[in-house]
Parts: sequence; structure tokens; C-alpha cells
Amino acid sequence: MTSATAAFPETGGGRSGTFLKFAEWQLALPLALAFASIFLAPLLMLVGVSFFNDDKITELGFAQWVKFLGDPFSYKVVADTMLLGVKTMAATVLIGYPLALVYLDATPRLQKVLIFIIVMPLLLSVVVRTFAWIVVLGHEGVINQLFLSLGLISEPSRLLQTELGLVISLTQIEMPLMLLPLISVMSRLDPNMRDASAALGASRWRTLFTVIVPLSMPGLVAGCLLVFASSTTAFISQTVIGGVRLIYLPLLIWQQSLVVFNWPLAAVASLTLLVSVLSVVSALSYLGRRSSGYMHG
Amino acid sequence: MFSRRSLLAGATALGGASLLPTIAYAKGSVVAATYPGTWEDAYRGIVAPALKKKDDIDLELQPLFAVDQIAKAKAARGAPPFDAFVLDPGPRITGIEGGLFDKFDGKKLSNASKLPAGMIDDWGVCVNAQVVGIAYNPKKVPAPKGWKDLLTDPWVSRLGITGFQTTFGTVSLIEIAKVFGGSETNIDPALVELKKVLSKVAAVGQPAAMPSLFQQGQCDVMYTNTQTVATLKSKGVDIDFVKPETGAVAFFTTLHLAKGTTEAENAYKYCDIVAGKEVQEALTKPPYNFIPVNKDVALPDYLPMKSLDEMSSYVRHDWAKINPLRAGWIEKFNKEMAK
Repeated sequence: MTSATAAFPETGGGRSGTFLKFAEWQLALPLALAFASIFLAPLLMLVGVSFFNDDKITELGFAQWVKFLGDPFSYKVVADTMLLGVKTMAATVLIGYPLALVYLDATPRLQKVLIFIIVMPLLLSVVVRTFAWIVVLGHEGVINQLFLSLGLISEPSRLLQTELGLVISLTQIEMPLMLLPLISVMSRLDPNMRDASAALGASRWRTLFTVIVPLSMPGLVAGCLLVFASSTTAFISQTVIGGVRLIYLPLLIWQQSLVVFNWPLAAVASLTLLVSVLSVVSALSYLGRRSSGYMHG
Repeated sequence: MFSRRSLLAGATALGGASLLPTIAYAKGSVVAATYPGTWEDAYRGIVAPALKKKDDIDLELQPLFAVDQIAKAKAARGAPPFDAFVLDPGPRITGIEGGLFDKFDGKKLSNASKLPAGMIDDWGVCVNAQVVGIAYNPKKVPAPKGWKDLLTDPWVSRLGITGFQTTFGTVSLIEIAKVFGGSETNIDPALVELKKVLSKVAAVGQPAAMPSLFQQGQCDVMYTNTQTVATLKSKGVDIDFVKPETGAVAFFTTLHLAKGTTEAENAYKYCDIVAGKEVQEALTKPPYNFIPVNKDVALPDYLPMKSLDEMSSYVRHDWAKINPLRAGWIEKFNKEMAK
């Protein structure tokens, strides 16, 4: 129940019900107008621009769509972009979920410290975080120096400008987006559930996989959704840490819109990115709804 | 306790008072685009105070790369978001062809006679030179002689390259193509040769990231301009500049008036002050390290030339020929270099 409906209890239709709907509609109007002007209108313009054949935007046609969709390289770039999102998502789940469990069992004081550590990356500019990773992953960076001094490697490994390095850095950069919804959902779980599971003879692992994981699924799905959308569109991290040999859709869009000024082709690439990300996000949302249904029977 | 009326009156008075300094002092302003980083710092630290002191004009800077300036001006469609551009040769041609500039009257510059011939045309004024060559870490690798060396050992395994997104990247790749039989309009030989050694190349990065990659030891050789070398050197980085045996590349950075600007007179004064001896001399010094074009200003010691005249022997490029090919080159570079 929204705050508006809470203030005006539902009476089962009639004039009062109509008034409630009207009041809600009025409350939502400023936001709807803002969305229409700053999101929907540019989106429609983007769709319109994609249907021009030339970079001077004078001749209508499908030439840019044909060019983009007819080039096998475009499919490779789209697949690589989606795969990057999936890999980052998987890494944040693998590292983030145990961390959320630690948070759950921590004392209130330790929880405060953990929350500060989790939120800290969000307080730094993405540019600073990204350039910090150059120092960590570089040829003479922290990791290589450490491994060299321990004798684990004989010469510096190439971590920067590799997909592995990019996934490592994106995992750290995107981690708060996974942890915050996860912790929010897990904190609301009834502790008696775990005790009940243990009392009924379930091991800790069985309790984790049959009680905690299913109940925390909405938070997990929300985190995955945010991490996927954010990592597939992380232009700065992708280009600075990944370099220009790892080509993802944001780099392609930037090149076409700001270097060669071919806005129709940039619009085609942007819409492809939008549709690709929305498809995965919709699938995740569907999973989230399914798990929510499981939770509430 | 304040009444609502007295609070409103107080707020109005405060608001009005905040306008007073503007009314009393500001005689004009100009909004100029400038490159982010060193250029922005230099223009904020040197040009803005000089313009205020001489002409009482407030300079508002918009830090934007050349391509971003063109994109913004194109998107603005007749309502320029700034009064003056600062551009390299490629975007300059794009701006001229796109009708983004007002015609430029060199007679309005009091410093016009202090600039070498050809520095002012119908579209703008040259205010700085840029020299592109090879930078290397003398403690890690020997000095390369020319572009060809970059693709051989020991340099290739420590080489950092960028694509065609920037002026310096484009001209360097053209010069590499030339030594392998290519030309200003045929860069294929460069891509063929680069592909052969691609697995050895230390870094293929975004232009803006290259100084950081060099500083962090990710690469020890790269193509860049003298300004980047001087700036890194001033930060204690081991770096030296080499003029390739086939010649260093030279080009000029130009200022232009945005089409339809309402502050044309102030924009001319801004261009004039940038071309003047006082500002050019200050911009030449560390940490800014610009190459001056004013004849009264001596060239810094670290440059590979002793006078501006010497630059006429440097390699120059015809951007009217390059611009139409650049989109295709970027596409080729993406495909050839992609992992």
C-alpha cells in the first residue's frame, strides 16, 4: 500500500475511490512529466536519428541498421558486452554473497564498519576508482610487485588491458550495487527460520541452500540486475582498464558519436545496447518475481 | 522571532545585494571552450586573469575535447553553447565544413603582426604549435631512431599505442604507414605491420590514459607530443622525446569564433590576449609547457627545434584529405586490433 492510499483508506470504489485515483495521478504527474521530457523525448529522438542514412541527417532510410546488423563484428561486440556483464555479475555474487552472510552474523558495531567499507567505493569518483586500478594491475603495479617478491612469478604478468583485469576491477567497482539490496533483504529475514531449520536437523549448508538462499532471492536478483546494467555500460572502466583492444558497445557508441560524428550509426548501436541490456534485465526481473512468489507461497 | 514578511524582505535584500558586484564591476564576459587538463589549468591560471586585467572581461571556460566541442556545437543547432572554440586541424576542418564558425577578421587582433605569416586565416588564429614524435623511458629502453623501430625489439614489447581518435594518434599512425610504403591516405601498411607484432605490444589504450600507463610502467615507448613529455618529466617520470629520423610532425592549435556568438568583440579580445607576448611566455613555462607562436617569445630548451621557422621543415598533413577517411580507419583499427 502506498503512502497515498494509507492516508485515504480504500472504501471499495465509488466517489472516494475515484478521488483517490485522481489524487495519486496528480502526485505522479510531475515525475511523469520529468520522465517524458528528459527520458522519453530523447529516446524517441534517438530512434528517429537511427533511421537516417547519412551522418548529416538529411536522408531517411535503413542504411545504418543494415550496416550495423550486416556486420559480423557488431554481433561479436554485442556478445562480448553481454558476456562482460554476466561475468561481472557472477563474480560479484560469488564474493558478495558470503560477505552478506558475514554481515548478517556480525555484531551491530561490526555491521556499521562493514556498511562503511561497502559504501566507500560509491563515495569516490568512478574516474578515481578506475585509475587506482591502473596502479594495482599495472606492469609495475601492486599485484605484480607482490607476486614477484614472493617468487610466484619470474616476470610481470599482463593484468591490465585484459578481460580478467577488467572483470576484477568491475567486481570491486560494482560490489556496492550487489551488496546493498542483498543486505537489505537478508536483514529482514526472521532469525528463527535458521534456528527452526537447525532444530529440525538440517546442517548449516542445507539451511543455507534451502532456507537462506531462496528467501534472499529478491535481493540477489535486484543486485544482479543493477550490476549487469552498470557493468555493461561502464564506458570509463571498460576503456581505461580494458584498453581499446577489448571492444564493447559503449566504446563503439562513443567513437561514432564523438569522433566521427556519425550520429545515426551511434543511435543504432545505442538502441542495440538498450535492447540487449533490457532483455537481460527483463529476464532477471521475471526471475525476481518468480522467487518473490516462492517466498510468499 | 522573524515574521514571514520580514524574512521575505531580508531574503530579497540579500538576493539584490548579491547582484551588486556584477552591476558594479563586470563589463563583459566570454565563454570559451578549452581542452581539459593542462589547457584548462593554464587558461584558468594565466589567460583568465590577463583578460580581466587588460580588458575587464570575465573568461568562463568550458573544458571539452575538440571532438566534444564540435559535437556540442552541432547539437546546439545555431545557439552556440560557447563563444570560442580551441581546435586541432582535423576538428577545425570539420567545423569549417559544418558551418560552425563565424568569419574571422585578423585585423581586430593587435598582436597579429607578432605572429608568423599564415597564422591567421578567414576562420581563426593559430595560438600554439604542437610537435609529435616518440617518447621513451631512457632507463628501460635505448632511444629509438624512428617510427620503424617501434615495431621491432626491444621497443615493441614496451610499446603503447592509441588509435585514430586523436590528432596525435592519427598523424603517428600515418607516419608509421609511410615508412612501410603507405601514405597520408593509405594507412593499411601500418595496420598490417602492427597486426604482425600485436601480441607483443605492451598497451593499446585510450589517448587520455596513455600518460598514466607510461607513468605506471605499463609501457615505456609511445607516440605523443612534446607537451605531454615535458609535463610527465616535471612530475619526475623518466621520459625523453625523440624526433623521428623521417621528421617530427607539427600542427597548430587554433581559436575560432562560434557561429552566431553575441560576444564577438570580447571573443576577439580573448583571442588577442592568448596570442600576446605576456600570455604566450607564461604558457611556455612549466607546468604548462606550451609551444608559443608569438615571434617575441623564445622557444623552451627541451624542444627539438630552435625557432618556429625550423618547424616549416617538419611533417605536416592535409586534414581535408584525412577527415573523410577517418571513420573508415577507426572501424579498421577496431577490427584489426580487437581481441
